[in-house]
Amino acid sequence: MIELKNITKVYELNRHDKVIALENVNLAIEEGELIVLKGASGSGKSTILSLIAALSKPTSGEVMVDKKHISKLPDNFASIYRRDNIGFIFQKYNLIPTLSVKENILLPLIPLNPHAKEAEDKIQAVMQRFHIEHKKDAMVRQLSGGEQQRVAIARANVNNPKIIIADEPTANLDEKLSEHFIEILRELKALNKTIIIATHDPLFFGLDFVDREIEIHNGKILL
Amino acid sequence: MKSKINLYLIEFAINAILRAKYKNFFIVTIFTLLTFLLTSIFFITNSVRYELDSTLEALPQITVQKMKAGRQYEIDVSVVDGILGIAGVTQAEARVWGYYYFEKAGVNFSVMGINEYENQYKASFTELVESGKHTLYGTSQMMIGQGVAKIMKMNYYKEYFNFIKPDGRLKKVEIAGVFDSDTNLESNDMILMSQDLVREIFEIEESKATDIVVHVANPEETTTVASKIKLMYPDTRVITTKDLKVSYQNIFDYKSGLFLALFIVTLFTFFIIIYDKSSGLSSEEKKEIGVLKAIGWRVDDVLKEKFYESFIISLFSYTLGVALSLAYVYLLKAPLLRDIFVGYSQLKTDFELPFVFDIQTLFLVFFLSVPIYVAATIIPSWRVATLEADEVIR
Repeated sequence: MIELKNITKVYELNRHDKVIALENVNLAIEEGELIVLKGASGSGKSTILSLIAALSKPTSGEVMVDKKHISKLPDNFASIYRRDNIGFIFQKYNLIPTLSVKENILLPLIPLNPHAKEAEDKIQAVMQRFHIEHKKDAMVRQLSGGEQQRVAIARANVNNPKIIIADEPTANLDEKLSEHFIEILRELKALNKTIIIATHDPLFFGLDFVDREIEIHNGKILL
Repeated sequence: MKSKINLYLIEFAINAILRAKYKNFFIVTIFTLLTFLLTSIFFITNSVRYELDSTLEALPQITVQKMKAGRQYEIDVSVVDGILGIAGVTQAEARVWGYYYFEKAGVNFSVMGINEYENQYKASFTELVESGKHTLYGTSQMMIGQGVAKIMKMNYYKEYFNFIKPDGRLKKVEIAGVFDSDTNLESNDMILMSQDLVREIFEIEESKATDIVVHVANPEETTTVASKIKLMYPDTRVITTKDLKVSYQNIFDYKSGLFLALFIVTLFTFFIIIYDKSSGLSSEEKKEIGVLKAIGWRVDDVLKEKFYESFIISLFSYTLGVALSLAYVYLLKAPLLRDIFVGYSQLKTDFELPFVFDIQTLFLVFFLSVPIYVAATIIPSWRVATLEADEVIR
């Protein structure tokens, strides 16, 4: 279970200017739930994702995952938490363009120093599941937007994380590819993964397999 | 079996190097050049020092020269008797020698006359004499250094050489053998023959000598004996081995200065790279670190990868630089640089750099380059890796 308790996040742009990204946010997400965080750009959706993934720390309040204080984890433990629990699909995919598909998917496994066969099996499995196996040796920069996203999804799943986080996943895709991504989400939901998506794409609204849609506005959850 | 060393990290590091191949090629080039220059200096320095030390060790403790109008003149042989009267002097010998300019080749030969086997050439002469092949004394024969032999051979003098005397007449001298010395900085351009023959070629009278060499029983007394000689013969210049060492060192240091200029340029470029590295990473490099952290890499995973990356580059460059330097100095005989260091112009014959392997030199160059580069790569990466991943990706 993921819990955000009285979360406030303030970004200090410089000595005088501050931006309040989140203000006193409370949110609880059950295991296996699929949540869509919707709202305009700059509303604070991505900040929530970032806090759940322990990519940043709240200015005040607590983030708890399975009753563990994620927001208080030292940096190295936060990395381990991400490695073991989180699969993050970034808006711009954040792949390394000069590496191949296979090498990009391998990245989260590298710190674990797995056996060659174990790594190969895991990579093979996610490449098959997300239909990117035929491009395994291609450089990421040579792929289309949809293919790059599938690589990003495969990379996010290679460690079999419990929580999948996607930040504006369809922002760079056309409608057909966006619908394909929604099908992938359905598959992931069927695997009982907790999924949190930040988006303002109407395609995600009113989907039958989405458990909750939460609207964020000016750093606050609209009830 | 699971390897303790994370080969995936090493593979990633190699990939990272290849991804920035142009930038890294430039770094490797500068790094290799720096290592090459630095080790070449040390290799040549060590070899020349070895040569000088070996040569100076065998030289007489004191040399006495007659001075007139600031130039060296022939000295009276009778001075030998006066010097032998000084307490502590065990031996004093009048030497007859000079420089013979071989115009056709444009080089100077040092022609030395011998009565007995001089100390500094003792080993090889004894060997030659014992073999019963040649006896120089009282003959029109000479022993020549390897450099002299090479030049004479190039000019078709394989069995004899014709010296032109001051009166314009020729003196034919047979080549009895090639002088094979332990060190060749000094002896390479040397010709040895009987004193009588030298006197004839240079027209030096019987009562005169070029200089007088003095041996002292207790080396600690060399300076005292030298002072006494100077007092007895104020018109002479008294040179001790110590003076010679200083003189050689001065020439050596001066010549090193020329090379230093070249070295400083390379060093400057190296430090620009170091500065560039340590002053921060590019936005692309920062983002990559942020992404790696976001997908679960710890700070030490990032630093390990950066360590491998910089260590591979620096160790490769260092090894390449040392290997090139070894080949350049000892196989190719250090063209260009050797002339700067040895300090001899074309008037001097070739000499070989003896191989002197000094592990300390290699360690010194290693510690002057590799750790600096590794640190300059790791420190900025550490700064970025310890920031919040979210801050870096944004």
